[in-house]
Order: sequence, then C-alpha cells, then structure tokens
Amino acid sequence: MAGDVPRSWRSILESGLGDGRTQILGIFLIIVAVTGTLVMRRYANIETVFVATLLAGSLLGRWWTVLVPLSALVVQQTLAWSVFGGYALSTMTGVTFFVVSGYLFVALVGRRIRPRILFRVKSVALLTTISVPLTVGYDLWTAFGEWYFLTRPFGVTLGVMIEAQVPFTLYHVLSSLIFVPLFGSAFLFLHAYGWPTRSADRTSSEPLSRE
Amino acid sequence: MGTRMNERSQAILFCAIVIAAIAGLYGATQLMEPASVQSGVVRFVHLRIDGPGWTIRYTSMATINNTAFSILVEAGQKLDFAVAYVPYDLPKGMFVTEINGTSNGGSGGLSWQFWVNGAYGTVASDHAALSDNDVVLWAFTASQDGG
Repeated sequence: MAGDVPRSWRSILESGLGDGRTQILGIFLIIVAVTGTLVMRRYANIETVFVATLLAGSLLGRWWTVLVPLSALVVQQTLAWSVFGGYALSTMTGVTFFVVSGYLFVALVGRRIRPRILFRVKSVALLTTISVPLTVGYDLWTAFGEWYFLTRPFGVTLGVMIEAQVPFTLYHVLSSLIFVPLFGSAFLFLHAYGWPTRSADRTSSEPLSRE
Repeated sequence: MGTRMNERSQAILFCAIVIAAIAGLYGATQLMEPASVQSGVVRFVHLRIDGPGWTIRYTSMATINNTAFSILVEAGQKLDFAVAYVPYDLPKGMFVTEINGTSNGGSGGLSWQFWVNGAYGTVASDHAALSDNDVVLWAFTASQDGG
C-alpha cells in the first residue's frame, strides 16, 4: 500500500504537467519569458511574458496555465523591485497582485480558446487578434493597481495615470504584435509536430493529441 | 459561394496585415514620444532636493541644462553629490534611482519623485522642460497610505 502513495503523486504530476513534449514546451515557454525579460529590460513593455502566458494557456493548458506566468513573474518582479525598490512591502504586494492576476487572466483566456488552436494560419491570427484587447485590458488593470498603490498617495488622479499609460500601452501592443505571431507560429509547430531526433523510430509523426 | 484561400495565401495576407499594423503602431508611438527638449538657456531656475533629514538648495542664474533631470545632474556636479539613474530606450527616458547617497532601494515606502512649479512629473524627468524662474523639487517621498 505504501507504494501507492508515490504512484498516485506521480499520476497527479503527470496529469498536471502532461506528457514529455508538453513538459519540454512548458519549460521552453518559461525560458522564453525569463530570457525576454532579462534581454529587454531597457525597453519598457517590450516583453515576452505575455506571449508565453497566452501560449501556455492556449497550447499546453493543465498546470502550465499557472506555472509559466508565475515562474516568469518571480524573475520579473524580483528584477522590477530591485530597480524600483524602496516601496513598502504592502505597496509591492499590492502592485504584484495586479500584475500576477492580470497574467493569470491572460492565461485563462488562452485556455478558453485552446480547443480552437491548431497549427494553422487561422490559429496564429486568432491568437494575435485576441492578444491586442488582452494587452490593453492587462495594461488598464495594472495601471489601476499602480495608481492605487503607487501614485494615488501623491495626489495623481486616475485620469492622469491612464493618460500617462497610453504610450506604454502602445509599446505593449507593439510587443504583442511582434512576439505572438513569432513565438505563436514556432510553438504551434513544435506542439503539433515536435522536433526531429537522431533516430527516426523515436520521432512521432503524429500531431499531439488535444485531450 | 466565395473561394477559400489556401494556407499559403492566408499566411501571406496575415504577414502583410501584421507588418502593416506593426509599422503603423510604431509610427504612432514615435508621434506620441514627448518631444526632445530643445537646447536653450534658462535663467533663475531654483532646485530643491528634499532627502531624508537633509535638504539641498541650488539656483542656476543661467544654464543650458533646461530639464528637471539635467538641472539635477548640474547641481550634483557643482555641489559635489552623486546622482544615479537608469536610462531607458523605449520609451526614451531617465529614471533617477539615487541622489546624494539616498537610493530608491532604501527604507520602506520611499522613492525619488519630482515636481515642476508644484505639478507632479508625469513624463520622464529628462523630458520635463524648464522655463525661466521655474521651481524644481525632487523629493524622497513616502506614500501616505501607510504602505
């Protein structure tokens, strides 16, 4: 009976993380999100966490819907607060809540459209199209959080905050328009067909199932 | 009955639309960038820096440093205190992280903010243009919600 416990844990992990290809793609998405954040630190709102989050929800589903954005955000928020530090813990926690919940919402919307995502131009177009209102919605949500916790105490009105947010949101939409088709196409291909291996008999020619 | 586009035609059309959208959006972002502050001489600019337990005052009778950022840097050079900042490329702007040894990473709830003639800075400090007789305040300010 004791042996059942590890086995049940393993089955929970397998059902949560998916098969080997899904796990590798999940780790790839985390790498894309973290690397993009590190490389493009000096370009405000040009980032890859958004696309990784959207793809995690719409391609991988399962635990990756939450794992990819949270893993990337651990790195992103640590970096952000090392530069923009000096704020009290409650302020940092408040702003982080808005950022994390915003990305989780993006992932959940991605998960909702998952059955319609296949390796087709239409799917990339769908992902790209929904990324625009999602990016704007995410920015409005986090701008509200930043206003409430960071700038409202200085007497800045929400209207001024939203106005100041506009150019940053344009850059964020630009980022989504570049990275969603780019990484979307690549990951849709890898998700559908995998990657070549040295021995042909180990390479599945079957597209990944959509269960 | 309309004819269905094949996958390749769809891909070409999609790429064309995305590239056009990116180009248009990039153009819009460039139009919305705050205009670079034109170089020029400003007179009688008053700078006050309120740190934790200390204040620095500086007045420039005439200077070509006509932004909230460059007047701060000028004061640092003239009065010998350090100013640290992070330059951002998109959108372009300087983010001040430390003045006179007091950095944003210090004690809780405090960070460097700036005002010009009492108006809170809503653009990067190197885009906040100054005019004659302007009063610039840099303050290491606590948020007032107890946060």
